[in-house]
Amino acid sequence: MQVEMIPGVKSRPVYTPVTVNPRSQRQIFIAQDQIPAALQSLYDGCEQGEKSLLTVVTTGAAAAGGALSIDDLAQRVASLPQSSSFYLAGSEAFMWDIAKLLTDAGFISDQIAMLAPLSKERRLFCTHCYTLMDHVTHSPHVCSGCGRALLVRDHFSKIHRAYVGVQINAEDPADLPAAAEELS
Amino acid sequence: MSEGLIEVRVASVADVAPKIREFRFTPVAEALPPFSPGAHVVVEMPGAGKTYRNAYSLMSDPFNPENYGIAVRLQDESRGGSVFMHTQVKEGDVLRITPPANLFAPHWAAKKHILLAGGVGITPFMSYLPEMQRRGADYELHYLFRSEQTGAYRDELKKALGERFFSYDSDAGEKCDVRALLAQGAPGTHIYICGPESLIHAVKAEAEAMGVPAGFIHYEEFAAPKPGKPFTVKVASSGQEVAVSADDSMLEALEAAGVEVTNMCRGGVCGQCVTRVLEGTPEHRDDFLSAAEKSRNDCVMPCVSRAVTDSLTLDL
Ligand code: FES
Repeated sequence: MQVEMIPGVKSRPVYTPVTVNPRSQRQIFIAQDQIPAALQSLYDGCEQGEKSLLTVVTTGAAAAGGALSIDDLAQRVASLPQSSSFYLAGSEAFMWDIAKLLTDAGFISDQIAMLAPLSKERRLFCTHCYTLMDHVTHSPHVCSGCGRALLVRDHFSKIHRAYVGVQINAEDPADLPAAAEELS
Repeated sequence: MSEGLIEVRVASVADVAPKIREFRFTPVAEALPPFSPGAHVVVEMPGAGKTYRNAYSLMSDPFNPENYGIAVRLQDESRGGSVFMHTQVKEGDVLRITPPANLFAPHWAAKKHILLAGGVGITPFMSYLPEMQRRGADYELHYLFRSEQTGAYRDELKKALGERFFSYDSDAGEKCDVRALLAQGAPGTHIYICGPESLIHAVKAEAEAMGVPAGFIHYEEFAAPKPGKPFTVKVASSGQEVAVSADDSMLEALEAAGVEVTNMCRGGVCGQCVTRVLEGTPEHRDDFLSAAEKSRNDCVMPCVSRAVTDSLTLDL
C-alpha cells in the first residue's frame, strides 16, 4: 500500500552506517538492555578519546551489574564535556528517547549517532486520542486508547518520537482489510 | 530591489571609537518595524557614480525600536561604502534601507551563550543583550578590540554587564584564550562570533581540534566582496552583457545594469542570491554552497563570487 502523500518525500528516519568521531574527548556507547555485537565492535574499535560502554535497563528485568536506569543515565551525561559523542543501539523508540534525553541536556543531534534499530517494532502515535503504543508490528493496529483501527504510516514524527497512526478508511471504519500487514 | 525600502532620517552621528562611527536612524514616514536580536539591514549609499550597499547589524533594543542604530568601521581597504558613511553622511540626511532580516538569531534552547565580539563585531550583540537580560539567560560577552581603533561602548557594557563582561585590548597586549573559553563549555553552551574572518577561523579551528561539534558555533561575518580580475556576465534571458570591474561585485554590476537579483546578506551566507550558471566557470567565494555544490559549478552566489573564465552566462 502506498501511503505517502507526496511522492519522493520520506519522513522515515534513515539509519546510515555509524563511524566513531575521532575528535571527541568522550565517547559514550549506550545500549538498551544488552550490548549488541555491532555496538560492541564499534566500541572495541574506538581508539580516540575516553570511552564508556553503558547499558540502560528498559525491560524491568534484573539489572545486570553496572546497568543504568534512565535517571542514572541523565545524571551521568550532565557532567560530560561538550566534546562528547554518543552511539546508540536498541529499538528505534529507545534510541529516540535517549536522543531526547541528550538534547535536553544540551547536546545537539550532530553528536548523536544511532545504529540500525534492532527490531522492526514501531512506536505508534494515535492522531485521534494521542495515545502512544510501543511494540507495534502490524498495520492496521487497534488503538489501545480509543479502539480505532489505525493505519501505521511511514511518517515518523520527531516530536512524538513515534510513527503516526490514522484511522483506516475513515469513511467506513467497518471496512477493514482482511488481514493486517506486517510492518517492515 | 528598490521596492520595499524604508526611508530613514539620520538623527545623529557620533564617533564611538577612533575608527567607528555610530548612526541613529529615525523613520521618515511610519514607525520602524520591530526586529529580532541579531538582525541587520542593508543601507543604500548613493555615491558618485556608484551605489554602495552594505549590511549592518542593528544595535537598538529589538522590542523598542524608536530608532535603528548602526555602527560603521572605517575599513582600511574600503571599496567605498564605509568611506561614504564616514565622510558623506550627515545629521538630517535621508537614506534608504531594507527592512530588517536576521541570519544570526540566538539559539534560545541553549543553556549558556558565549558571545565573542571582535572590534565592530560588537554590533549584533548590542541587540542580543537587552533580550538576554529580559529572559534571564546565562551569557558572557568576550570583547576583543584594539583601543587605538575600535572598542566602542566598552565602558557602558562593563557597567551594564558586570561579571559577565570580559574585555581584551590587543593594543594593551591583552589576549583572549579561545581554547580555555571553549574548554569551559558544558553541554548546551553555544558560541556566537561576530568579527573578522581571522577570529572566526581561529575559533572554528580550535573547536574542531577539541571535538566541539560545529553545531555549537555560530558566526556572522559581513565580509565585503573582495576584488578580483574583471570578467563579463551574460544575462541569458536578454542577451545583455555586463562588465564586472575588478572592484565591483557581480551583484553590484548587475544591479547597476538594471538586472535584479534577489539578495539579502550580500556577504555569501544567506543563499538568497543563488543563480544558475549556464556557461563558464565560477570562482566560488561564498560560505553558502557546499563543497559538492561548488564542484558542480552550475550555481553561483553573485554577491561575493566571481569567474575563473572570462565570461559567465547566468540564468537570469
Ligand atoms: S545575498 Fe546572501 S548569499 Fe548572496
